[in-house]
Amino acid sequence: MHHKIFDVVIVGAGISGSFLAKELCQAGLSVLCLEAGKNFNRHNYPKKEIDANSQLYWGGGIELNTTADIGILRPKVVGGGSVVNQALLDRFDDIALDSWKNKSKIDWMSTTQMEPWYKSALEEVKVEEIPTEFRNGNADIFIKGFEANGFKCAPLKRAQNNCAYEKGSDCIECLSGCIRDSKQSMGVTVLPKALNSGLELVSEFEAEKIEKVSGHIRVHGTDKFGDKRIFRSKKLVLAAGAIGNSKLLLQSQFKNNNIGKGFYTHPQFMSLGLYEHEIHSEKGPFQAMKSDDPDFRVRSFKLENVFGPPVAVGMLLPGIASKHLSYMKRITHMACVEVAIRDQNPGTISLARNGRLKIVKTLDERDQTTFNNGLSAIHDIFNSTGVKEIVDGNFKIGLHLMGGLAIGKDSNSSVVNENFSLHEDPDIFAADSSIFPDAPGINPSLTIMALAKKAASSIKESIL
Amino acid sequence: MTSKYFGHLQTRGLNKLGDVIIPGEGIFPSFSSTGFASQVDRMLDYMYEDDREGLTLLMTLFAFMPSFFIRWIVLLSEKNAIFPDLIGAPLRMIQLGLKGLILTLYYSNIEDSQKLGRKIMEGIKWQTGVAPLEGDVTNVERSKCTTSWKNPSSEETVTVFERSKAAEREISSLTVSQRLKYITALKKLILDEKEKIVDLIQKDTGKGRSDALFSEIFGILDHLTFLEKESIKALKDETVKTPIALMGKKSQLFYEGLGTILIISPWNYPFYQAIVPLTVSFVAGNATIYKPSEFTPLEGLVEDLLFRAGFKEDWVQIVYGDGKTGASLIDQRPDKIFFTGSVATGKKIMAKASEQLIPVELELGGKDPLIVFEDANIDRAVAGALWGSLTNTGQSCTSVERVYVQESVFEKFKAKMVEKAKTIKQEIDKDGDSDIGSMTTESQVKIVKSHLDDALSKGAVLLTGNDWNGSDKMIPPLVFENINSQMKICKEETFGPILPLYSFIDEQDAIHMANDSEFGLSASVWTADKSRAIRVSRKIKTGNVSINNVMLTEGNPYLPFGGVKNSGIGRYKGVHGLRSFCNMKSILIDGNSGKIEANWFPYTKRKYELFSGMTEGLFGGGILNFIKFLIYGLKLESYSDKVGKKGRV
Repeated sequence: MHHKIFDVVIVGAGISGSFLAKELCQAGLSVLCLEAGKNFNRHNYPKKEIDANSQLYWGGGIELNTTADIGILRPKVVGGGSVVNQALLDRFDDIALDSWKNKSKIDWMSTTQMEPWYKSALEEVKVEEIPTEFRNGNADIFIKGFEANGFKCAPLKRAQNNCAYEKGSDCIECLSGCIRDSKQSMGVTVLPKALNSGLELVSEFEAEKIEKVSGHIRVHGTDKFGDKRIFRSKKLVLAAGAIGNSKLLLQSQFKNNNIGKGFYTHPQFMSLGLYEHEIHSEKGPFQAMKSDDPDFRVRSFKLENVFGPPVAVGMLLPGIASKHLSYMKRITHMACVEVAIRDQNPGTISLARNGRLKIVKTLDERDQTTFNNGLSAIHDIFNSTGVKEIVDGNFKIGLHLMGGLAIGKDSNSSVVNENFSLHEDPDIFAADSSIFPDAPGINPSLTIMALAKKAASSIKESIL
Repeated sequence: MTSKYFGHLQTRGLNKLGDVIIPGEGIFPSFSSTGFASQVDRMLDYMYEDDREGLTLLMTLFAFMPSFFIRWIVLLSEKNAIFPDLIGAPLRMIQLGLKGLILTLYYSNIEDSQKLGRKIMEGIKWQTGVAPLEGDVTNVERSKCTTSWKNPSSEETVTVFERSKAAEREISSLTVSQRLKYITALKKLILDEKEKIVDLIQKDTGKGRSDALFSEIFGILDHLTFLEKESIKALKDETVKTPIALMGKKSQLFYEGLGTILIISPWNYPFYQAIVPLTVSFVAGNATIYKPSEFTPLEGLVEDLLFRAGFKEDWVQIVYGDGKTGASLIDQRPDKIFFTGSVATGKKIMAKASEQLIPVELELGGKDPLIVFEDANIDRAVAGALWGSLTNTGQSCTSVERVYVQESVFEKFKAKMVEKAKTIKQEIDKDGDSDIGSMTTESQVKIVKSHLDDALSKGAVLLTGNDWNGSDKMIPPLVFENINSQMKICKEETFGPILPLYSFIDEQDAIHMANDSEFGLSASVWTADKSRAIRVSRKIKTGNVSINNVMLTEGNPYLPFGGVKNSGIGRYKGVHGLRSFCNMKSILIDGNSGKIEANWFPYTKRKYELFSGMTEGLFGGGILNFIKFLIYGLKLESYSDKVGKKGRV
């Protein structure tokens, strides 16, 4: 049944894979998309935290770097990050793209040349600004704290549609998939279009090895029943993210020394402020504001107005028994601000001897300073708004997973060329966050969409 | 309690760890008291294997460690930041692993019968939700882990079977002993919550409390214990003999699940008829789709118990609905249908199943005879007949519906029976102090009434129960005499509290009368003469016979159950029953040699002669023939190999 040779096999049905699938299918190509995660819809997203963590992320919820101080959240689900993220869409600025151009020597890396692709990407999703009247207590503290300290902040733009805040919707629930299909995840935007144009989607299939046999690419892997299967294609698109793509190439023994290098995560750190009065950070659109401060940008960090569900918050809190419980009882009194840094010190993704991932990612002195600057800005915000107690979270998290297959002109310092194919093999492409040459310091979703659009045209050209 | 990975020890370790992190305080229950440890596979299933193994090892250690030491380890892991990475990193992993395990189980709003999950959420005042989309009635149902459906559309029944196909793979990958862990957990839950379950059974059926406890709860626990004790042996690969002509080869039987079993159950023992077949199906390695009767759905009970016993989503799916729903499920081609109910519905199901050649097992009705010989202990026989006819208000497929008494003791038996029948206490009681409850369905009351009217109009005499108004669901015991073969009550299944008394002359007469029926489910024989009892038991065409007792073959889970004639097809329960839910796969194992077998091509004249000689030797009997077999056999073997390799010369 599966002896068919597809024009393109895409590994990963996240944002990049879904966008590419849509473009390539609409161009009339036969496309198969393989995804390790399950294909949920709004009727069956796992809603309990225990099930959501287990079923929507690799490793049963969290993976760790070697020093176990960054918890890596790597989505494993059809729709990828767009199912579990907060759907914040921002363009990259000159700072980010100039840095990329400098590293990659690729000319089209500029705000002006990227603009058409951003525009085209934004046509696929509905974007709204969180309406002022629905901001919750956490956003109020964020805004007041920013004002008191002379920082600049701005309302967030989010890929959403018809969230029904007036009927009491709490977006924190949508971190495990939106039951209203309001969040503009891939399953409600580009994936249906791809499927209508003939995309074959196989979920719960974990790609393990790729090889080239008599001019064709073979993707080996294991299906949900534990059976080994092989799919064949003329072209292959790697869209499994920084870690997934690196792992697959390393397992397949690709030669380029840069594979897995240059790994960035925008390390994030949540800090909780306990207040006398109830804040109800969990209510409504729980993330409504972001820092918009040029000084922060120069100093390479940003602050976000966030929160987490009970297990996540519980994990951030120190102590056990009555100390732990005394915090949990005040969960509705907590405000929360997160610092995300534009990390400079690259990490590496490699395979340990037992075949498991080994992720080395540390903050060097510079990153640590950036981080401390961000944290002290958070403390300033809390202290200027009457906080009773500040609890800094227990560990950092990494959920913008970038790099590992850096894009660039020079094959000695990069993995993917400016046409999005591997220096090593012109039939294998990648356009997702794995090709980022460094950390932009801005939420990557929109740029992943734009790059997918651009890469699609490049791939089409190579086939047609 | 139930985990594929955590045994008793690790669960103890997990609970000890849990109580160190969450000892309980005020309205917050301690971790161990929530019972959420039973849900740990919801995490473990998705972890990397070595992480899971690490946690398993830690939990084993914790099981033996004093709690203060566990506390010390957790507190040390909290202080990871002060250590260099060499120690700090493993400490952080331990902290994340241990706290992650406990806090995830504790704060995930896990659904449980005591609603503790929800109480914890209320305790921290966490209340979030998303407004449903227009047209969505509720999104509460889908939070349940065990899947249940109400009157599914035909599109949804396709989904039911798609999910079942995936579940088949999961279940078949479990060993029998792994499956039994879930059975043990389920058994414990049923035992712990028997009073609550009896309440629910009473609510749906109107039966007496003792009836529910004795026939449903006890019967189930007995059956589950049988599964625990016998399944591993019954389902393990079996090596059978291989005849000498196939020397050097090995023959085996594998007992594997069939796939998806559709169970359609009746309303008379709604809990028993849910749990018993679905656990047999599960242990045998199948995914199950269970449709309860629309009259006694026990809504929510079975899925709640299965869920809390750790059964995963879709292992057993419960589909509520009527006959139309049942038909649409059959359309999806289950691998077997297990039906318990009426003859009429059984025939329809078999007809429908035949379209797609789906195997059926039918447990249908009966018109069971009870035969009392003159040498029997009459008091005991009266008490037995009374119970056999009236238990569950006569709504049992193996109810006694024909009482044959030898003529010499008939009057004595009748007098005692009438006297006893009048002492039956009838009430839907709260404390077990009642013999029988009410009828369950209106339609069955009507059938009893029509049988009664028909009998009376044809000359039957009603000895008790004259005060029944003909419509009340509380039908009292109805003892009859003067029954003749023209009456419905003599031929058709009444399924109510009736006791028609007949007299017979001798053994041959009794056997003849007992066999004069379209049914053949069970029978009982009462006599002091053991050899007569056995003789009569052999002569009655039926599936089950109790001697000097009544309806007792069902009381032994080691005995298969099922009927002949219109009472059904197939056997379930016991080892035979367990295997009837299996694909019995025959395996013949030969070595990977270069040898060409005698029965393969080419066939030649020479081979014919040798084969003929070998056949004569093998089956001729006697030592000389055996020697002939050996000589011809060896020649045949070497010739076949040679001609097979070189080809016809």
